[in-house]
Amino acid sequence: MSQIGFLFVGYAVVWVALASYIIAVGRRQLTLRREVERLEREMRAQG
Amino acid sequence: MPETQTHAESAGVESAAGGGSWISILGGVTLVSILVALYGALIWAPTEAVMGEVQRIFYFHMPSAWIALGPSFTVVFICSIVYLVKKDLRYDRVAGASAELGVMFTTITLLTGPLWAKPIWGAYWTWDPRLTTTLVLWFIFVAYLMLRSSTSEGHKRARLSAVFGIVGWIDVPIVFMSIRWWRTIHPTLVSGEGMSMDASMQAVLMFSLFAFSLLYAFLLVVRVRQLDLSSRLDKLRQQLYMR
Repeated sequence: MSQIGFLFVGYAVVWVALASYIIAVGRRQLTLRREVERLEREMRAQG
Repeated sequence: MPETQTHAESAGVESAAGGGSWISILGGVTLVSILVALYGALIWAPTEAVMGEVQRIFYFHMPSAWIALGPSFTVVFICSIVYLVKKDLRYDRVAGASAELGVMFTTITLLTGPLWAKPIWGAYWTWDPRLTTTLVLWFIFVAYLMLRSSTSEGHKRARLSAVFGIVGWIDVPIVFMSIRWWRTIHPTLVSGEGMSMDASMQAVLMFSLFAFSLLYAFLLVVRVRQLDLSSRLDKLRQQLYMR
């Protein structure tokens, strides 16, 4: 692999790692939001 | 006001989820800083005379290593001590979030380093003291995260994690000092004569450090708020099912 190839892969690794973490945090956020909505529905149902 | 909102507020869910305008601003500033750092690293900085283009990996490799070893694991260490003293689970959550970020930044460091090393040293990996101690640190904090995920939230997990985090942090100064204590082929950036770099390269490196610091701060705040919200939701769930 050329120097540019190593450079490209190096920066790709950084972006993939950051994007993976941010996506994982975003999915957890979505799960939490759904849980809040579910609990609110249950509370309404219980009166 | 509907009763559901009153209950949500009583458990603190609203306060944990809301008030995010300054976080959005921090996120925007972080994104712009990272893009400017990327421009500096790939375009603005001059090509290194000996190592060539691959040296540009260094502008993201070194800040990743610094954020992992400096703020991330040190916050785990400090918050673990504070938790053991105060028994406040908020410090445990900050430690957990910071450890996640530390593992992520160490992973970036351990992956980008070999991509620089292959064309320069002729090998992706050597059992050099700096590399080996960094790999050991990564294993320690992966184990720390596994410990946290294998037990449910509470004081027992927090106590175990705090002790693990404090003992695990001992490897951080060893990683820092490894290039001084043992013979190493890892580059030494700062010596007794200052930084051995061109001024424009130093400027890009410093800006990258700043951008990565903002990224760490932003991700830490977001993750800690998420863990706070999760904890408060658990309390809300308990209240609801006890009615």
